[in-house]
Amino acid sequence: MLSFLLFLSSGLFLGWSLGANDGSNVFGTAVGTKMLKFRTAALIASLFVIIGAVSGGSGGAATLNALGSVNAQAGAFMVCLAAALSIYWMTKSRISVSTSQAIVGAIVGWNIYSGKPTDAELFSKIVGTWVLCPVLAGVLAMILYRLTRFVILRCKVSLLRQDFYTRVGLVLAGAFGAYALGANNIANVMGVFVASNPLQSLSFPGGGELSSEQVLFLFGGIAIAVGIATYSRRIMQTVGQNICLMSPLAAWVVVVAQALVLFLFASDSLHRFLENNGLPAIPPVPVSSSQAVIGAVIGVGLLKGGHGINWGLIGRIFIGWVATPIIAAAFCFVALFFLENVFNLQVYY
Amino acid sequence: MLHVKFPVISHTQALENKIDLFHDKMIEAAAVFHRSVRVFLEAGVGLEYKKINRKIKSIEHDADTLRRDIENDLYSQNLLPNLQADILQLIEGLDKINNQIDDVIYKFYIERPEIPAKFHRKLIELCDCSADCAENLAIASRAFFKDLSKVRDYSLKVYIAEQESDQIYNDLKKSIFNSDMELANKLQLDLLVTEAADIADIAEDCADELLIFTLKRDI
Repeated sequence: MLSFLLFLSSGLFLGWSLGANDGSNVFGTAVGTKMLKFRTAALIASLFVIIGAVSGGSGGAATLNALGSVNAQAGAFMVCLAAALSIYWMTKSRISVSTSQAIVGAIVGWNIYSGKPTDAELFSKIVGTWVLCPVLAGVLAMILYRLTRFVILRCKVSLLRQDFYTRVGLVLAGAFGAYALGANNIANVMGVFVASNPLQSLSFPGGGELSSEQVLFLFGGIAIAVGIATYSRRIMQTVGQNICLMSPLAAWVVVVAQALVLFLFASDSLHRFLENNGLPAIPPVPVSSSQAVIGAVIGVGLLKGGHGINWGLIGRIFIGWVATPIIAAAFCFVALFFLENVFNLQVYY
Repeated sequence: MLHVKFPVISHTQALENKIDLFHDKMIEAAAVFHRSVRVFLEAGVGLEYKKINRKIKSIEHDADTLRRDIENDLYSQNLLPNLQADILQLIEGLDKINNQIDDVIYKFYIERPEIPAKFHRKLIELCDCSADCAENLAIASRAFFKDLSKVRDYSLKVYIAEQESDQIYNDLKKSIFNSDMELANKLQLDLLVTEAADIADIAEDCADELLIFTLKRDI
């Protein structure tokens, strides 16, 4: 168990860094536009990210496991560490980086190292969601923006009331966004540990029970929450001003669009519903909340005439789509070699 | 630990009332100005004009108190954080118009200028245009807080009235200096007329700013 916790540390570190970076996507615009205080935002985000991770995280984790079932704890440790270090390095290089892309790249690296086949169809499906995610967020943001603007102009909501409703809306959307972030992105943090998870299920005196997978996700959720509480403040205060200037209501639109996209890509029941009704089902895949936010902001920016959009940042996303998984895969492959041959650890079975 | 600084709906309502009252004061000031010049030209600084002078002082004082309250509420309750600076500028601009109206009425009261009858009609027209500018600006500004679609309409009315006031002001100025009044009287009257026309100019500047704030207010 102790060794498992030691191996889990890389996942927890990844969770912490995800919280620090992606927590700002949920409440960044609200804090950046000074509609909410950081402490309020961090508390709500931390709470709901844990709830989302524990209650809705299984879909994305199953998809990642289908891509590559990392069956040794040391291997899972290195997959997470490779993803985390790739993210660190690419963030320093100012390339837009996604935890989802890094972890998928690292899993493929593990597949190659362990000689296990990578499901090409699933892989292309996952890559497809990376492109779909910001596009869908952009389209949803455009629809929401038009709808909100129509309602406000039609109902002649006074400026001060609009301010009041926006704050309430930002808190609700932020809570939903944090839930969706936890449900969708917990797979990035803890997904690779599922196959080698030795944790027991947890029963509560009241009658509730957490499965062993949920206990694992609880650890990951707490790591994300700690990341949000300890390190997301600065990013929250600058986000929203990065791509183009936004009003608090546009910020609300962006958060809701992003949360909806993350929720759509996390919801198992929605996936089943669409599949059962012969509709094109959205696979439960962990996607990048940062890229969803960027997609949504661009959507709103385009509706406003496309002025002031930072196209350079969008270029860096394209680079990230290609570079992140490749770098993570290469890094994971090399690191697994060292872990196996220098430290004599079993990295796959 | 949880430090939620949420504006309570009652605070929002209270501030809405103050903003409404502030605009009421401005419309009232415009109406008083409208009347003041007629009273002055008909009866000079008599009892009625004294009443008008007292009235405008009280309106100006009330508007000042409301302006301070509005600014204080906006910042202390962190309402409309992205528009605070704009609203502050707008309210200060409107207050300048109130002050200018007060100044002009007071100058007539103190200086008691001699105004030949041939200038009366033009002077009344000039003051009416300035009062119209102030009134329409107040309505446009109120719309900024309540119904964005009307801001443009009333701002346009401000521009039209301001153009008219410019024309009248130029004609009046020429007539004053072409007249056979003493130079001192000419200069005194010119100064007063300029101050009356300034009301329209300040209103026009405020309308320019208001239209930009409206664009920024759009979500």
